[in-house]
Amino acid sequence: MVLLSRIISGLRRLFHKGQVEQELDEELREYLESSAERKIAAGLNREAALRAARVEIGSLEAVKERARDVGWESVVESLWQDVRYAIRLLRKSPAFTAVTILTLALGIGANTAIFSVVNSLLLRSLPVADPQRLVTVRGGFRDNQRSTWGGMNYPVWDQIRQRAHIFDGAVAWSVEGRFNITLGGETQVVDGVYVSGDFFTTLGVPAVVGRTFTSADDVPGGGPDGLVAVISYGLWQRRFGGAATVAGTPLIVDGVAFTIVGVTPARFSGVEVGQTFDVALPITTGFLIGGKDSALEVGAPLTAMLRLKPGQSIEAATVALRAAQPQIRADSRPPVPQQHYLEEPFTLVPAATGTSQLRQQYERPLVTILVLVALVLVVACANIANLLLARADARRHEFSVRLALGAPRWRLARQLLIESLVLACIGAAVGLIFAAWGSHALLAQVSTWRDQYFLDLSLDWRVLTFTAVVTSATAVLFGTAPAFHASRAAPINALKEHGRSGSGAARVSLSSGLVVGQVALSLVLVVAAGLFVRTFERLSRLPRGFDSEGVLVVTVDVTRSPIDLSNRIAFYQRLVDAVAAVPGVAHAAGSLHTPMGIGLTVLPTVNIPGAVRMREDELRPVLSFITPDWFATQGSAIQAGRDIDDHDTRYAPPVMLVNDAFVRRFFPGRDAIGATVGVAVGSHGETSVGSKTIVGVVRDMPWRSLRDDVPATMYVPLAQWNMPFPLVWYINISIRSSAGSPLPLARSVTAALTAVDREVALMFPPHLLADQVNGSLTRERLVATLSAFFGILALLLAGIGLYGVTAYAVSRRRHEIGIRIALGAQPADVIKLVLRQSVLLTVVGVALGVVSAAALTRYLEAMLFGVTPLDPSTFIVVSLLFGAVATVAAYVPARRATKGDPMIALRCE
Amino acid sequence: MRSDNKQSGVVQGTLDMLILKTLALEPMHGYGIGVRIEQISKGVFQVNAGSLFPAFRRLERDGLIEGEWRATENNRRAKYYALTPRGRTTLKRETRDWETQTAAIARILGASLGEL
Repeated sequence: MVLLSRIISGLRRLFHKGQVEQELDEELREYLESSAERKIAAGLNREAALRAARVEIGSLEAVKERARDVGWESVVESLWQDVRYAIRLLRKSPAFTAVTILTLALGIGANTAIFSVVNSLLLRSLPVADPQRLVTVRGGFRDNQRSTWGGMNYPVWDQIRQRAHIFDGAVAWSVEGRFNITLGGETQVVDGVYVSGDFFTTLGVPAVVGRTFTSADDVPGGGPDGLVAVISYGLWQRRFGGAATVAGTPLIVDGVAFTIVGVTPARFSGVEVGQTFDVALPITTGFLIGGKDSALEVGAPLTAMLRLKPGQSIEAATVALRAAQPQIRADSRPPVPQQHYLEEPFTLVPAATGTSQLRQQYERPLVTILVLVALVLVVACANIANLLLARADARRHEFSVRLALGAPRWRLARQLLIESLVLACIGAAVGLIFAAWGSHALLAQVSTWRDQYFLDLSLDWRVLTFTAVVTSATAVLFGTAPAFHASRAAPINALKEHGRSGSGAARVSLSSGLVVGQVALSLVLVVAAGLFVRTFERLSRLPRGFDSEGVLVVTVDVTRSPIDLSNRIAFYQRLVDAVAAVPGVAHAAGSLHTPMGIGLTVLPTVNIPGAVRMREDELRPVLSFITPDWFATQGSAIQAGRDIDDHDTRYAPPVMLVNDAFVRRFFPGRDAIGATVGVAVGSHGETSVGSKTIVGVVRDMPWRSLRDDVPATMYVPLAQWNMPFPLVWYINISIRSSAGSPLPLARSVTAALTAVDREVALMFPPHLLADQVNGSLTRERLVATLSAFFGILALLLAGIGLYGVTAYAVSRRRHEIGIRIALGAQPADVIKLVLRQSVLLTVVGVALGVVSAAALTRYLEAMLFGVTPLDPSTFIVVSLLFGAVATVAAYVPARRATKGDPMIALRCE
Repeated sequence: MRSDNKQSGVVQGTLDMLILKTLALEPMHGYGIGVRIEQISKGVFQVNAGSLFPAFRRLERDGLIEGEWRATENNRRAKYYALTPRGRTTLKRETRDWETQTAAIARILGASLGEL
């Protein structure tokens, strides 16, 4: 109660300041009058009485001041005074203010930008009800434990769905990528997702218009309302202008007619962080759209999530699910028997933040970069602290006067800290603008030819708290040294002409300490940047075995072509031939997989005659399907033997090419050509697909990633496809032009494809093979670019810091230098004198930096390639670089010291 | 900021209690309160404006007294302070505490060895 009335009266005083002051004046006047009246009554005349009353009361201002000082609001008021004073001072030196604010804005902005990506990707909970009770289902199959999305086939999901009552519900989804939708006669490509019937209700995501799905919608053929679709808030705004009448609108998805029944909230972009959706369809409609090729039929595209009951522990839920696993296995067994089917126990993983492939890829790089930019900010703070120290030095006279007039020392220190805080706050405000732009730019850098990522980067309390903490931390970091320095001012200096005394020495040692720290920290940054740049360089210079710049890749989706599955191979060959006939095309060939691209990966088991026994996993090379002329198209020569050609049909003897890695592994020191290899597929090689004779050897080509060793690879003619599963619904066609870049051919190639069949679609825009290679290095490039940028920034900042300290030291010693020159010292001597100190600072800083870097770089090891964390050449080059920068930074002021008339220097004191 | 108590001779921390007591008799304006304290204490305590005004602010802020602008007997406007119900309870409690303490102090000061 007392507290409340204190707060209220304090606020009243702050906001009705005029009225309160007036009341106080009036009350005092009345007090004086009453006092005088009493004295008149005692016999004084009015004038004397008034004078006596005034004498008695003393200084009216003092009384008012003391009355004002009661309560917390007076502290607020004096703080506000300090803030206004700080702003006035900052406006008086616009250059200093601008430089400082810009530095801080960049520093705080960069930190906030990266943090907001970290926040959206790693920290933020899903915008659903009670995200803490969500868990993802992993396991079932061995290679499933670590993958982040997909991995469950429809029959298994169907079994889990029937057991949803063990938990507080179960949902599943499959991020589909692209849907071709037709809305009001206009066709466009949007992001699509398949979700289970009670996906939205179990997650607690309500519709903003209409309704979401019910489990009745998720049955083959559709529910009571037929085939229904839910659209995202974004699509609703873009295509319907947010009209409430959207429910009931027809929507055609990949040729199948749906009805829109509702719109999801703006905040909800699905549970796979990094992806978003425009159209959501019930899972079972996937069979209709995809037909025989539907991922639901041929693969395991679903991810399942369970909602735990309140109080149900993740362990208890795991036990319950595993108890049901034998039954799930029995009831979902595929028609073709699979060994070890669903034997790997299910595992539940907390999923409050959703699932994310992007997260798995970028968690480490992002956190590393966040640490790097935080260090840059610290380095920048050291510079600002030095600038402020110089200012505080120039203001010594003012401080001394204030001390002499009775200001407590803490008031001076507080004043300076408030100035720092004002600077930091303005910097942070500008920085937030940079951050909004920077975080989107960062996300754009992450997207590749294949994946467009989406993150909700709106500011939330966590980002704002982060910025506030960083801002106050910076203010304290760069404000403490000057504040401490100022609070040691001596009042006696106020009386002197220039409040100089010996304090300059203290400042120099403080500044020197800052500079040493700066050099050390920036060295760590530059070493890290050097390691990342070398990693990227190593990866991009790896021998690839193909000419990525000269190859155009188009991926053709034939799902909607009325071609029977059994005629697909011939159809694919027709497409390839059509492309090869386009004027300007020198070579064209098809393949089910392209290096670093999408495609079918088959890992068969091979039986090598006369080979030493190997472990099962060593016997698994990669199997690739190609059409003739593929190697010529890739710009890769046949090393030995022959290429496959048009004679290798399904009726001819089965043949294959193998790469060098295959020969090294299975035919060490032997001739592989002519050898016949038994091939079998299935998770344990149980289904034999016959023997194939090796007719040629080709160069190694990376498969999925440049970081991995090139796998032993077998190239089999597509015409001889005899896998025990249906042929995929797409073909990658590689194109080499007869002259120059193949990119201009994209249009005529597309036209040639549609001339074969109007219904074929391109899965991605035509792009160079080089884009696929670069896309696979996106992460490394991003880390190298950002760390190099911030490393150079830190190096520059350290150089400026060193320059500042040297320049100040020179200005302090101008008198002494003048005498030396007057006495005949040579410029070289003077320069040596000045440089000695800077060299010392640099050497100490570099030594500290090298030691810290050596201790820290091992945490980067997982991100490096082809370079060790203690790479000697990086360390040496970076140290030399710092030496060079430091020499320049110190030489400039040293040189200036030797210029100019010694007499002026002597007179100036 | 309780100072000036040496000049006025008021024991540290007791000025608030004296003001409350004065106002318990009747509502009073600033100068009147000072005079009243001086009169009742027979001139022992002289309280000046520098102590009174901060004390008014403090008591007002804590909700123990409230001020009201009224006409004086000489037809000028003055701020009259009156005790609030909370002020009344506080005064009672402080009076009781004070009596307990002074009695104890008196006993200590009056103690002689024989009584122990």
